[in-house]
Amino acid sequence: MVLVPRQLLRSGMTGNVPYYGGRFTPAQAHAAAHPTAARPRPPVPAQGVAAARGPLPAVESPAPATARPDAKAALRHLREAGVLTAEEYAELLTRTDP
Amino acid sequence: MGPVQVLVVGFDEPAFSGEVMAELDRLREAGTVRLLDLLLVERSADGTLETVPFPEGAPTGMGGLAIEILGGPDDDITSAVSVDGSTWSLADAIPHGSTAAVALIEHLWASPLREAIQRAGGTALEETWLDREDVERLERLIGRQDDGRQLS
Repeated sequence: MVLVPRQLLRSGMTGNVPYYGGRFTPAQAHAAAHPTAARPRPPVPAQGVAAARGPLPAVESPAPATARPDAKAALRHLREAGVLTAEEYAELLTRTDP
Repeated sequence: MGPVQVLVVGFDEPAFSGEVMAELDRLREAGTVRLLDLLLVERSADGTLETVPFPEGAPTGMGGLAIEILGGPDDDITSAVSVDGSTWSLADAIPHGSTAAVALIEHLWASPLREAIQRAGGTALEETWLDREDVERLERLIGRQDDGRQLS
């Protein structure tokens, strides 16, 4: 007997786990809206004793936390790429306003 | 009714030794899970899915529930095609040119837990299984904990 497969909703054992279709989950959206300071760069591995005695590589200073135009541009890019819905974009945009 | 799992298991060469059924019977007797239905499906090279008859001696009507739940008339599928990955079908799971057993398994043990979560106002945010490698790491951690308790 030929079986025509039906599309079924995904669900979890303890409830309907939300599926975000590859878009931001609420936790990721929150993280995007609350950027933390940039992590320190990992140490550069020494190449021999002479390298260990040499001057340390310059460490770039982290970008200032007030780079709001960049955040807006990033959000706009995410919306245009289909990662954020219009509603999510609008909500996150309000959080970037001073 | 408890949560129902759809388990799709592929076989290169179907071999029905009865070992899996025996284990499911044991779990049923323990009140852990209940096998609601079982269906054998063959997928041809062109993608067509066909049910495979059970060997003689299998319970009458086996596979009927699974066909009703997982299959549908031709005119259903166009309107229900997944656009965001929140749905699935047997066609997503079974590769062309292979055979699979599809089981509907009710998890009897999970009902009280699910109800307790609902009563507590909890919402499932994620639910997945640990990869085998992480399970082995977890086993080692538990072993270390047990060793520590025995020493103290």
